[in-house]
Amino acid sequence: MNKQEQTDVAALAEFEARIERGEKIEPGDWMPDAYRQQLIRMISQHAHSEIVGMLPEGAWITRAPNLRRKMVLLAKVQDEAGHGQYLYHAAETLGATREEMLEALLSGEAKYASVFNYPTLTWADVGVIGWLVDGAAIKNQTMLARASYGPYSRAMVRISAEEGFHMKQGKEMCIRYAQGTAEQRAMLQDAINRWWWPTLMMFGLPDDVSHHSEQLMRWGIKTKSNDTLRQEFVNELVPELHLLGLTVPDPELRFDEETDSWIHGPIDWDEFWRVVRGNGPCNEERLAARREAHEDGQWVREAMVAYAEKRRQGLV
Amino acid sequence: MPDTQWPRFEVFQQDRAGRPYQNVGSVHAPDAEMALQNARDVFVRRPRCHGLWVVPAESIVTSGLQATPVEGPGRRDGAGAEEYCVFGKTSQRRSMSYVSELGRVTAANPRMALAEGQQKFADETVYAWWVFPVTAVVSSRTEDVESMFAPAEDKDYRMPQQYRVFSEMMALRQDEEDRD
Repeated sequence: MNKQEQTDVAALAEFEARIERGEKIEPGDWMPDAYRQQLIRMISQHAHSEIVGMLPEGAWITRAPNLRRKMVLLAKVQDEAGHGQYLYHAAETLGATREEMLEALLSGEAKYASVFNYPTLTWADVGVIGWLVDGAAIKNQTMLARASYGPYSRAMVRISAEEGFHMKQGKEMCIRYAQGTAEQRAMLQDAINRWWWPTLMMFGLPDDVSHHSEQLMRWGIKTKSNDTLRQEFVNELVPELHLLGLTVPDPELRFDEETDSWIHGPIDWDEFWRVVRGNGPCNEERLAARREAHEDGQWVREAMVAYAEKRRQGLV
Repeated sequence: MPDTQWPRFEVFQQDRAGRPYQNVGSVHAPDAEMALQNARDVFVRRPRCHGLWVVPAESIVTSGLQATPVEGPGRRDGAGAEEYCVFGKTSQRRSMSYVSELGRVTAANPRMALAEGQQKFADETVYAWWVFPVTAVVSSRTEDVESMFAPAEDKDYRMPQQYRVFSEMMALRQDEEDRD
C-alpha cells in the first residue's frame, strides 16, 4: 500500500466513524467518490422528479371546481417548483452544476420518478395523487431527512414539512368524495385503481434486486429498505381506504395475522421498466412540456440579463 | 447570448426581528436584486420571515470541521481593513438551515477574518465556518417586509394543521366500532 492509499483508508475509516456517530457530512468534508456520485445521482433525480411532478397536476389548475381548491392546487404546484430548487442546490454542493442537470433533464438522459409518466384523467386524480403519491413520497422523504449528508437532509426536512400540506389536502378531498354522491365515489375509486400500483412502485425495486441499497444504508443515506417503507405505506393506507368504503385493486391482498401486516400481490416490474425506459403513457408529453417551458422562457432570461447589465451601467 | 443558470447567491433568512440570520440554501440570478426576489419565492412561501440576505457564493470563505483547506478568496484587491460577518454551524441536530450568524469581526482580508472569528467565537462548538465581507450582503429593506413577507401569513391553506383529516378518520373509526 503506498502512502496515498494509506491516507485514503484512514480517511474512509474516519468518514464511516463520523456517520456511525450520527454526525452530518458537510460540503468540503472528505467523502469517498462513490458517496459523492451516489448522492449526485439520487439528489438530481429527486430534483427532476419535483420539476416534472408539477405537470400532471398543473394540468388541472384551470379546471379546479372552486376558488379554494384552485388556490390550494396553485400553492402545491408552486411548492414543487421550490422543492426542485432546494434539491438542485443540494446537488450543487457536491460539484454538479445547474447547467448540466438541466441539460440532462431536457435531453431525456436523466431519470425522474416514473409515477409522473401516468396521465391525470379526472379531478379525483388530484386528490389521489395528494393522498397516495405524496403520502408515499413523504415516507421516503422522512427517512431521507435523517440522511448523513447535511445539505440533502436539510432539503428533506424542509420538503417533508411542506409535503404534509400536500398529502392532507389530497386526503381531505378523498374523504369528501368517499362521502359524496355515487358518481363522486365512482370517480374516486377509478382514480385509486389507476394510481395504486404506480404508487407502490415509487418505493423502488424489491430489496433482493436493488443494487444501490446496501451501500446507501451503510453510508447512512438511506436508513430503511425499499420493501420496509413499502410495507409501512400499505399497512397505513389499506385500513383507511377500507374505512372509507373503498377498495384496493389487488385481488391477492390479504391480512397476515402473524406479521400484523397487509400483504400485497405481485408488482408488475415489467411495466415499471417499460415506463422507466421511456415507454410509459406520458413520457414524451412530459419532456415535450419541459422543453417547451424552457424555450418559452428564453426571452425572459434574456430580458433579465439585459436588465442586470443596464443596472450595472447605472442606466435604470 | 449563452443560456447559463447565472451566478449562485447564498440565501440567509431571519425569522423575526433580532434573531440571527441563517443560511437556507442558494439561488441563481443575473444580479443580487433579482436573486433577492427569487429567494423570496423559493424560501418564503410560508411564515415567517423578517429579513432576507443574498451573498454572492464567490465572496464567501468556508472552513469545515476537519482540517480541510480553507476555500474561497484569500484577499480582496483594493480593500483595506473592513467588517466581516462570521457564520457557524453550531449543532448536529436535524434542521432546515445550515450556518447561522455568530457576529462580526474587522480584518484586513477574508483569511484573517476567518482566523479572527474562530478566536472570537472559540467558546462555541462550530462544525463549519463561513465568513464574508458585510459589503457583499444585499438585504431586503425594512419597508419591504409588508409586501415581500406578509402575504405568506394569510395563506393558511398552505399549513398542514389547517386540514382535520386525522380527526375525521378517527371519527369514522369510532362510528365503525360503535356499529360493531
